[in-house]
Amino acid sequence: MVILSLLILNKAGGLIFQRDFNEGLKKLSSNDYLVLAGTFHGVHAITSRISPLRDLGGGGGGGLEVLESDKFRMQCFQTLTGTKFLIFAEPNQPNVDVVVRRVYELYADYVMKNPFYQIEMPIRCEAFERNLVAYIKPKQ
Amino acid sequence: MQRGDSLNSPFVPFSPNPSIQQGTPTSTPPLKHTLSSSTSSNLRYSSSRKSIYDRHLNRSQRSELSKASFAFLFGEMVQYAQKRVNGIADLEKKLNLHGYSIGQRLLELLLWREGRSAKRETRILGILQFITTTVYRSIFNKPADGLEKSRDNEDEYMLIDNDPMVNSYISVPKEMSQLNCAAFVAGIIEAVLDGCLFPGRVTAHSVPTEQLPAKTVFLIKFDDSVIERESVLVVTRAL
Amino acid sequence: MPISYYLRGDITNPPSSASTTPTTMTIYSFYIFDRHCECIYIKQWHQRDRTFRPTSSATSTVDSPVTLSSDRHSAAGSKLQNEVHPSGRGGRLSVQDDAKLVFGVVFSLRNMVRKLSGPDDSFISYRTGSYKLHYYETATNLKFVLLTDVKTSNLKVVLHQIYVNLYVEFGGFCYNYSASMVCLLFIVTKNPLSPIEHPGGEGVAVELFEMGLDSFIVSYCTLRRVRSWLTRLGIENNTGLTYHSAIGYTR
Repeated sequence: MVILSLLILNKAGGLIFQRDFNEGLKKLSSNDYLVLAGTFHGVHAITSRISPLRDLGGGGGGGLEVLESDKFRMQCFQTLTGTKFLIFAEPNQPNVDVVVRRVYELYADYVMKNPFYQIEMPIRCEAFERNLVAYIKPKQ
Repeated sequence: MQRGDSLNSPFVPFSPNPSIQQGTPTSTPPLKHTLSSSTSSNLRYSSSRKSIYDRHLNRSQRSELSKASFAFLFGEMVQYAQKRVNGIADLEKKLNLHGYSIGQRLLELLLWREGRSAKRETRILGILQFITTTVYRSIFNKPADGLEKSRDNEDEYMLIDNDPMVNSYISVPKEMSQLNCAAFVAGIIEAVLDGCLFPGRVTAHSVPTEQLPAKTVFLIKFDDSVIERESVLVVTRAL
Repeated sequence: MPISYYLRGDITNPPSSASTTPTTMTIYSFYIFDRHCECIYIKQWHQRDRTFRPTSSATSTVDSPVTLSSDRHSAAGSKLQNEVHPSGRGGRLSVQDDAKLVFGVVFSLRNMVRKLSGPDDSFISYRTGSYKLHYYETATNLKFVLLTDVKTSNLKVVLHQIYVNLYVEFGGFCYNYSASMVCLLFIVTKNPLSPIEHPGGEGVAVELFEMGLDSFIVSYCTLRRVRSWLTRLGIENNTGLTYHSAIGYTR
């Protein structure tokens, strides 16, 4: 299993976590990542707006979930509270949704239960990163 | 009926069920009351209409608690304490105090549960054993990972916990690296020692290793009076 | 049933839900954007067709398309008025606004992909809970966008076929923007009459393209359906049916 990168966006579209696990994506400056997160946040909102099923009374059905390109596949998971998890994996990586679930769980444990974490602010939780790496790295 | 009234009052009456007061477990349902059972349960009254105070003390001996709810509660406690202190030492002291008040009650409960076989430890090793096994087991469901005597100081002992439960979800920020929230547990230990007449100071220190990033050492420094008494006991035992 | 190209299986023999290959493919809309970021072609199948008409033959389902042109090009304006829904009803967007949003999305995502993994990577598709958007960009920066249901697999090949076999063949309408020599070349080589006979650009070329597009999409759907029947009957695809034969049908 090859997971390339993980981004976490808060409900306002701000980048609160970014980490690369494997080579494959270019390394951007922290400012570029912030811009990218903001852009994606907007695009995500529009993708649910342009749903053809909106016109048919079927509801928007939510925003972007999976994005595919020649070199990677990105899974986006939005929690009910508006936090977004973006996981970049190799194009034919199966079961990314399982990984997303697990990462969400780790976030709930090691970020939300940490008394020193301020909500909506950048994540600097050593235990979170440790457990994340322990989960993603050995699976290769 | 009195009990029915008490449902609306914030005060909880002492259990009117005599069998509970005598300390024998009972399977008889609590007093009947006419209120419909659809009213929701709250913290004091479970859905079975028994308040936590009505239960037998041994009842919760083996029961388990949700770790998540504890983590949230403890997290809030740390945040609450953090707002009212200046400095890390102050914060640790505050957490220590919180633990202390729990330790006092815990010791009482544990000795009560041991019943007739309960005894007050008089030797340092005995009380430390009691803490690493009985106390640790009753709170964390596991014994402590180690107990060492300081090589340099006669009055110092080290109790080792490789992964303190209270710290499992906590990452201390870099600028507060001296802080260890297990000061709360240190407070519990201190209270148990104090309660057994082994006054001293207990502090928690992080000693991270490669495999055990959360390893914590509780440094127990006994008062001089304890060491004095211990040496007297050693002499009398030898005679 | 809302979508005209919702090609169903035989009514007497409805497709079993256990079947893994989807027997139907729903196509919602199709957009082309030129290299100046302008939308030069829209067709929305889902907007007009709110009632389901059984599809007995492929060509009978072709409904008049929604064409759109920019302001400086009003030839299709009259057609447009009949097709565009009154905007604002239930917060719904007009066709133009829809196209702008679609462009914004694909443009941002394309740039995002390039930024993250280099200029030689290309954005293929994304899906949400309710639809899937397929994207194909030519070397000349033409952008083809197709919106389908979520179960549809990769349609990059199909978009490429539309480009090669339909756009280049009949694509006279891009002459209107006559910005690129490449487009001119296509027109000169493939549709020499168009620039002379139809200075407005609208006319034979566009109609040919539209007819071609329609029948291509329909035959593509039919092909898929035939294939899934064959698979269900346990017959391997040895009939020689390919996407290219679907293209052949359009000529």
